[in-house]
Amino acid sequence: MSGFRLADGGRIDRRTKRNFTFDGKARWGYAGDSLASALLAQGQMLFGRSFKYHRPRGILGAGVEEPNALVTVDRGPGRVTPNLRAPSVALHDGLKATSQNRFPTLKTDLIAVNNVFSAFFPAGFYNKTFMWPRAAWEKVYEPIIRRLAGLGDSPTTRDPDHYDATYAHCETLVVGAGPAGIAAALEAAANGGRVFLIDEQEEIGGGALSDPAQWAWLAEASAKLAAMDNVTVLSRTTAIGHYHQNFVVAAERLTDHLPVDGAHGPREKLWRIRAGEVVLAMGAIERPLVFEGNDVPGVMLASAAKTFALRYGVAVGRKVVVMAVHDSGWRDALALHAVGVPIAAIVDIRRDVAADLIEGARAARIACYQGYAVTGVSGGQAVNGVTIALAGVGKGQKLECDAMLMAGGWTPTVHLWSHAKGTLRWDENWGAFLPDKTHENLRCVGACAGDWDFGKGLSVGLLPAPKPLHESKAFVDFQNDVKARDIGLAVQEGFRSIEHIKRYTTNGMATDQGKTSNLNGLQIASGVLSRPVTEIGLTTFRPPYTPQSFGAMLGHHKEALFQPLRKTAIDDWAADHDAVYENVAQWRRARYFPQGSEDMNAAVARECRTVRSAVGVFDASTLGKIEVVGPDAAEFLNRMYTNPWKSLEPGRCRYGLLLGEHGFIIDDGVSARLAPDRFHLTTTTGGAARVLNMMEDYLQTEWSDLDVWLTSTTEQWSVIAVQGPKARRVIAPLVEGIDLSPEAFPHMSVREGHICGVETRLFRVSFTGELGFEVNVPAEHGRMVWEAIWAEGQKHGAVAYGTETMHVLRAEKGFIIVGQDTDGTVTPDDAGLGWAVGKKKPDFVGKRSLARPDIVAPGRKQLVGLLTDDPQAVLEEGAQIVADPNQPVPMKMIGHVTSSYHSATLGRSIAMALVAGGRDRMGETLHIPMPGGVISAKVVAPMFYDAEGSRLNG
Amino acid sequence: MVEIAEIAVSAAELKLGTEPVEAAGVRVSLADGKVRYSMRARDPAVLEGVLGRSLPRKIGDTDAGIACLGPDEWYVVLPDNFDLPRGEGLPVSVVDVSSRALGLVLEGPGALAVLSSGCPLDLAKMSVDRATRTVFETVEIVVWREAEDRWHVEVWRSFATWLWHAFVAAMHGSAK
Amino acid sequence: MLLIHCPYCEEARPEVEFVYGGEAHIARPVDPSTYSDAEWEKLLYIRNNPRGRHHERWRHTHGCGRFFNAVRDTVTDVFETTYKAGEPRR
Repeated sequence: MSGFRLADGGRIDRRTKRNFTFDGKARWGYAGDSLASALLAQGQMLFGRSFKYHRPRGILGAGVEEPNALVTVDRGPGRVTPNLRAPSVALHDGLKATSQNRFPTLKTDLIAVNNVFSAFFPAGFYNKTFMWPRAAWEKVYEPIIRRLAGLGDSPTTRDPDHYDATYAHCETLVVGAGPAGIAAALEAAANGGRVFLIDEQEEIGGGALSDPAQWAWLAEASAKLAAMDNVTVLSRTTAIGHYHQNFVVAAERLTDHLPVDGAHGPREKLWRIRAGEVVLAMGAIERPLVFEGNDVPGVMLASAAKTFALRYGVAVGRKVVVMAVHDSGWRDALALHAVGVPIAAIVDIRRDVAADLIEGARAARIACYQGYAVTGVSGGQAVNGVTIALAGVGKGQKLECDAMLMAGGWTPTVHLWSHAKGTLRWDENWGAFLPDKTHENLRCVGACAGDWDFGKGLSVGLLPAPKPLHESKAFVDFQNDVKARDIGLAVQEGFRSIEHIKRYTTNGMATDQGKTSNLNGLQIASGVLSRPVTEIGLTTFRPPYTPQSFGAMLGHHKEALFQPLRKTAIDDWAADHDAVYENVAQWRRARYFPQGSEDMNAAVARECRTVRSAVGVFDASTLGKIEVVGPDAAEFLNRMYTNPWKSLEPGRCRYGLLLGEHGFIIDDGVSARLAPDRFHLTTTTGGAARVLNMMEDYLQTEWSDLDVWLTSTTEQWSVIAVQGPKARRVIAPLVEGIDLSPEAFPHMSVREGHICGVETRLFRVSFTGELGFEVNVPAEHGRMVWEAIWAEGQKHGAVAYGTETMHVLRAEKGFIIVGQDTDGTVTPDDAGLGWAVGKKKPDFVGKRSLARPDIVAPGRKQLVGLLTDDPQAVLEEGAQIVADPNQPVPMKMIGHVTSSYHSATLGRSIAMALVAGGRDRMGETLHIPMPGGVISAKVVAPMFYDAEGSRLNG
Repeated sequence: MVEIAEIAVSAAELKLGTEPVEAAGVRVSLADGKVRYSMRARDPAVLEGVLGRSLPRKIGDTDAGIACLGPDEWYVVLPDNFDLPRGEGLPVSVVDVSSRALGLVLEGPGALAVLSSGCPLDLAKMSVDRATRTVFETVEIVVWREAEDRWHVEVWRSFATWLWHAFVAAMHGSAK
Repeated sequence: MLLIHCPYCEEARPEVEFVYGGEAHIARPVDPSTYSDAEWEKLLYIRNNPRGRHHERWRHTHGCGRFFNAVRDTVTDVFETTYKAGEPRR
């Protein structure tokens, strides 16, 4: 127990107590405390166990840079958040926080034995050690490593919270509401534009929150900002990343600071902000120093101790030693002394320190050790003393203390600047990279621009020490347990680039992205390599700036709103009739309609039999539809499709095959000519948008002289397929103004008229091989017309059938489904659709490619039918086909099954397959090796039923 | 503080609202029956001849129910029972798409915030009587600013349910 | 998210309204049958991949619907210019 609450001071509300628990024990703090400050005030120095060695760790920083004190906060079922930084967790009544990565308890950690053997865990240890045998990874190494080296546990239950999201626009966005950010926001706001000022902390103020002298100014500036209509101030909001053209994404935490029963509404809100100008005022983060024992709990940043004392009224110790290489450490020590934090000594590696600082320290009766360095820290779970030595190598001298502060200089926070591809320049005075050039309308102000008076100092990283580097236990990256000597080892093993050193040692790869370790790691590498830091480079910062919840990333896109589920106008009817659905692209479609206890096979068999023997009704509304209108409509389609279109009479339909310019099938569909200058095209369900885009592309960029226009009508029309020998009898009583007789209305034709009193485009087409009609009606009437057809159908024993039955029926006829029986490498000839290619047409999209050498070469995979020797064996779609099942593995695969079903009509299984040289193999037996044994099948033509097509006429 | 209504876990459970929903100074409702046409022409004068009326010429402008959405594209949203000539044989395209879309209306001082929750345009800078095709998250919409606080949103029929509930979620989200 | 200036709408619009359309100024020949196999292969499959200025097509799919051309720097992602389809290469 060393920390304690100061008698007064800070921005906490000492009249309002907050009760919380840490590792199950009751604790308390004040309103305005962070979890870290409240625990420190009660003497808690141990906050967690380190990632790899399970070393005891305490608080290092007072902000988001904190690498050690990661906690899990439990807000009830589904609301458990791991890896939160204790200094950034606002205290509220009922807060339940637990430490992480300890086993079984924080104080007694059995795995800390790793620490004893730490010499065996050097950089690259995992890569080198757990290599072999490979199978051991999954079963042995990985589970153990995950047990040993872990962060908090991922939540496993559904997150019940809602997350909000929005776009926002402003002329000026200021990131960081410290004094520089507030000044920038006030200045921008005075010009009248919309201004956003965002800050990650509980309240705005940044560094000023730790400086009581600025509080009056801060209150005044806050009030001024709040009064301006054109200013939006968002606290508890982290700018996650800067993206192109000043698009900044920020996450606002709305309820995590509230007691669970007082939290209402969304938990977080994702702000997607487009700004004319972005001003980064993100400040700077103090650097730790690298020396033996720098990770013992109680060793922390001087700036953090200052924040705990001045903002939260908490002293980090009763006897504090400061190790500085920078004036800011002296200033902080004096500020701490002034509010009653006992400072025993200031140690500084520099011999020359500004006279006023020395004067101030002497006046405060603080012992000063100039030219000295800390060379060791004593204490296990808390500091009890430090060893100092002249120049780090002289005779050791012990100083008693219960907390030790490090002042290693400052690193400007340039993360978002780097996201924006802003360049950096090395600044010798700062010993850090500062923003240089950017092509965005982006600028840095205040400390992150190097424009702040922290005083002067050295940039050393590693303190001089009596031990050689390879024996040192000085830590660089606290969260990933990377030591200075690991960086030395990486260099020794041949790594030169900082990007490689980073990955080999994992320096800077923890959840804090190296906020406190990157520059120290770089300087150590620079020292070992004897090359200036500027030649070694800096690793790349990437979003997010701090870890973010998945919920915030999703916004409203969760559960029912995850993505749109498209339903047809007839979908509700299907739901009422117990349809089982499947998703096709974004649509959900009725797959089959089970009756009673039927399974899919039984339902599909019944639906198929009924369509073939009587009639079935099918919702085909999802078919893509495009209306092609204009004097050049026929000419355009003639150029797009493989077959001729100019000769098609109005009132007639044609099967259209669409190729890419590469000659492969990309879509198909039946289309109708309604008038000389008007066509009604159909596309596959999944291809609708793609086909329209492709056609627009040709029309706009290749043939812009054609007078023809394309309009998507997919959603204009509900499509009700009525198929089966009794189809005509079902629709006849409902149709007006169309002669349905076979002579007047032959197969592959279209008529316009009325059905059930509404306009219809009635197609006589068949995807089943039976007499068939497709009734197109405006979607708003789709349900009504469907119900009328259904009622009429009942007189003829009609079934409603779904996509599965549709698939079986079309496969019996050998009709392909683009995307199932084709895969983007199938030509019309491969698919047996050579008849659909206009041989006399001089050109169409893809024609030239059909003459390419590989396309005309023999042995291409061709679509064939397969009949298994065992008629009840149903092949698996995707199964590979071989000619000789006895050949040694790996076998030569000559094709694969594309469609496979049990056909109730035929009383056996049928399949389609793409097989090399397939049409030359008619009658051959091929083999499909499966886990349960080899299935044999005979190659046949892909036409299993009514080859002569007599059933089309009912 | 407005409590958020439970949203269905499965999208299949979503239904299109037929009754207006009001919260946080916003009202979302379905627009009355409309006729809709998509009209195209290389030369607007030819189309004007077919229609017997003038067309807005600048992309984004509207005039009495006709919005210019592209250099050769006009979108018509009119009260029911309004038939347009098709201009057969002429270099124009007039296609009835009345059933293709539904209109959702957002009204009230919070309407802009609800629409901005998923639309990336700077809608505050969009003038009254302007219209544009754009997106709401992943869904294509046509936004028509009918008045300072009244936005008419056209969306393809099958996306309307999702959009309706996304609006409602945003209404509650912005109700802090 | 990029902001892209649509030369038809004459305003900068968010990237999500657009669809990328590959390298620009690759015209389909009037008569592809005159192309040799090698020429046709080049037209179909061979594309530039410059570091720096890249001529590319975009479509303002969820806006005015038009295809247009752009010059974008592939290193910085900065658009140098956008221009209407059919206008000469810039």
